[in-house]
Amino acid sequence: MRRLWLGIRPLAESLLAGVIGLGGGALIMWAWGYNPWPAYRVLFQESFGNAYGLASALANATPLILTALAFAIGARAGLFIIGAEGMMYMGAMAAVATSLLRLPSGLHPLLSLVLAALAGILWGLVPALLRALRGVHEVISTIMFNWLSHFLAFYLVANVLVDPVRAEKTVSVARTARLPLLVRGTDLSLGIVVAAGCALLAYLWLWHTVSGYEVRAAGANPEAARYAGVSPRTTVLLVFALAGAFGGLAGAVETMGRPPTYAVYSGLTNIAGFGFDGIGVAMIGRNHPLGIIPAAVFYGGLQAGARLMQMWAKVPFEMVRAVQGVIVLALALPELLRIFRRLRRARRTS
Amino acid sequence: MTSFLLRAERLTKVYPDGTVALSGVDLEVRPGEVLGLLGENGAGKTTLTKILSGLLSPTSGRLFTPSGPVRFHSPKDALRLGIGMVHQHFALVGTFTALENVALGLGGVSLPALRKKLEALVAETGLRVPLDVPVEKLAVGERQRVEILKVLARNVNLLILDEPTSVLTPAETAELFRFLRALKENGKSVVFITHKLKEALAITDRIVVLRRGRVAGEVETGRTTAAELARLMVGAEEVGRLSSVELGLQAEAAVKEARAASEPALVAQNLRVRGDTGELAVRDLSFALFPGEILGIAGVEGNGQTELVEALCGLRPIESGTVLLLGRSVAGRSPLELYRLGLAHIPEDRWKHGLILSFTVMENAVLGMQREPMFRGALGVLRRRAALAHAGRLVREFQIQTAGLHVPAKSLSGGNQQKLIVGRELAKGPKVIVAAQPTRGLDIGAAQFIRELLLRLREEGRAILLVSADLDEVLALSDRVAFMYEGTFTGIAKPAELTPETIGLLMGGVKAGVR
Ligand SMILES: Nc1ncnc2c1ncn2[C@@H]1O[C@H](COP(=O)(O)OP(=O)(O)O)[C@@H](O)[C@H]1O
Ligand SMILES: [Mg+2]
Repeated sequence: MRRLWLGIRPLAESLLAGVIGLGGGALIMWAWGYNPWPAYRVLFQESFGNAYGLASALANATPLILTALAFAIGARAGLFIIGAEGMMYMGAMAAVATSLLRLPSGLHPLLSLVLAALAGILWGLVPALLRALRGVHEVISTIMFNWLSHFLAFYLVANVLVDPVRAEKTVSVARTARLPLLVRGTDLSLGIVVAAGCALLAYLWLWHTVSGYEVRAAGANPEAARYAGVSPRTTVLLVFALAGAFGGLAGAVETMGRPPTYAVYSGLTNIAGFGFDGIGVAMIGRNHPLGIIPAAVFYGGLQAGARLMQMWAKVPFEMVRAVQGVIVLALALPELLRIFRRLRRARRTS
Repeated sequence: MTSFLLRAERLTKVYPDGTVALSGVDLEVRPGEVLGLLGENGAGKTTLTKILSGLLSPTSGRLFTPSGPVRFHSPKDALRLGIGMVHQHFALVGTFTALENVALGLGGVSLPALRKKLEALVAETGLRVPLDVPVEKLAVGERQRVEILKVLARNVNLLILDEPTSVLTPAETAELFRFLRALKENGKSVVFITHKLKEALAITDRIVVLRRGRVAGEVETGRTTAAELARLMVGAEEVGRLSSVELGLQAEAAVKEARAASEPALVAQNLRVRGDTGELAVRDLSFALFPGEILGIAGVEGNGQTELVEALCGLRPIESGTVLLLGRSVAGRSPLELYRLGLAHIPEDRWKHGLILSFTVMENAVLGMQREPMFRGALGVLRRRAALAHAGRLVREFQIQTAGLHVPAKSLSGGNQQKLIVGRELAKGPKVIVAAQPTRGLDIGAAQFIRELLLRLREEGRAILLVSADLDEVLALSDRVAFMYEGTFTGIAKPAELTPETIGLLMGGVKAGVR
């Protein structure tokens, strides 16, 4: 009985939070004189109620699953890795660059993915070393590296990878390197399989290997973990490497699997933000790799539905964003509270 | 009739968890005196002074100032009447200077004016405090002075210090004493808490001894001796009860003969270990622990026991000296390596080193052993079935009450958490067991269970180092007892050879002629 409750409790909390969030959103719309009922109906029908909507939701979810994993794995190890955004830029750059090569279509996307993951790992290396060797807090270093990455990518897009005929974007990813679409006429590519596969692997690693066990131990109680023979340094390096790989992959799946452009626009407009959205998604998914999948789909659906909500329910875009914000915040709240409680406890015991 | 500054009448304090920390305590603080408050750990000293300074309200009893009864709702109320306290744990903002920290406590003062005032205070009392250095750069002794200055700046006439010397070096202690004397000359009163006999005798005018929440005695410092204080502190009747065969588990002399022939399992020679603040917490300590023996370490907490245990178990570096575990040097080895050499450690701080509270019983059951082939399969897979079986075994063997193997350890009661730790450590099949405060906070049943277990392990020929603040426990279980005081042993003796007086003296830091 107790065990059942322990398993179900996070789910129940999240559902309750979802209901509260929707209620709050409705309240806001109602207070400003909009009818929440048709707005929500449009939102859910259009994003989850038909095949096309669902495919868009899944397509939107694809990079989010990966950036959320990057954050969640860090959180499980007690690290606040805010760097998925920068890692993702580097992954996208690597994916575009690799597509300049001439390779057969089976091998090409595979190589692009591998190099993108490597680019993400490399991008995380300096913050990881700073943390492991000098104790520099990863929040600071990863935020700084996000900015470095931002401007480096800016430069690469404008000067190195630029499309010779269309200066507002990079060259397009070669046809041989694109991730095939799963459903014709939609944005949904094989990327979702890559992302979901990563989530599954992350889950198996965390809960079914000794290494994952040790990382969780280090996150839950660093002192006890150290006493049990877990090296804090190894943990930091390992976790950063995984986060980097996931972050890099996020950039790759988005550029290699998102029609019609298969490129990065100058100003990074078509990829910017996934890294930060991933933090929210990780929170909604309770930092659990398998919880992240539905969380990302829900989040992706909200994004897709928001446009339609504006069109069909005549709710202005700002209102849609506000409602979205309330829902996401409410959903993230249980996990946020848990983290704050843990931080407070850690401070008390140290 | 003597005049008084503050009087407490029949103070009783029952904590929400039912702990009776004080029962019917009377206390009087007179103007211009240093009043010593002496007592063992847990005697209620901190609780009493927290009430005097308005931080806690008593369950019953009253406080009086010369102008009548008072009631404090917060430390501010007490400060308004000139009563201030410096706690065992400091509350300073590390990045602020001393001046800024003091200003923070006062609120709305101009810094230049405050600086003038503090400089005057410093000149008056000889309290050396660098006013313009961030507090985090200061040594512990200096930080304490900042705390004192914070209180003095509120114009108090009664300063309460809770175990101020526990963080100080001998030189800093001497300086503190000089300052306290200057304070007294200026007509202020001080309540000085300590568990060290020497200090109480050195600085106070009058001493009130607390024991288990009651006043055990009140003496003029000039007319008492260390022996009398020790007796008051420990309590003659209790020491008498100890030597009785409480658990029916007293040492069998016969087992000990085997020992003479055997090699020691754990040897320390001239061991020195530093504490968190860099002071020498263990000074030139030497002992040998033999198979089939329990060596108890008694003494008031904070005399280096924690540091000693951590150094023996690979959690703290050894400054100098040697420690041999079954003939191999312990220095530089990690806890994991030491476990592989045959050491088990029941840690003092269960929540810090012993358990991962959010992990399940199963996950905790393999903590530290997760890399054993038994639990780590091909590709580094965690063999959950083996871990589950192992956890189930521990639960059965050590009678751990739990709703299952998949519930988090935090859902277990304290006693069952401890059984889980003890069971896990013993499952490692150790030859040497270091048990630090193994029964602290446990209910009687669980405590008894663990004590009996320790005795059984001794009969099996394992070597056990038992560190405990519970004197009854140490005396009842140990074959030999060492008394630890300020990082060294004041004496090692068989429990039966000890009298209440010698115990009190040894605990209070007076080296006695006992072996
Ligand atoms: N907040 C608390 N809740 C419950 N029990 C407490 C609390 N603080 C202290 N105690 C208990 O009250 C008794 C007296 O503690 P304390 O006043 O700290 O003693 P001392 O300062 O003499 O060591 C001890 O048994 C201690 O465990
Ligand atoms: Mg105390």
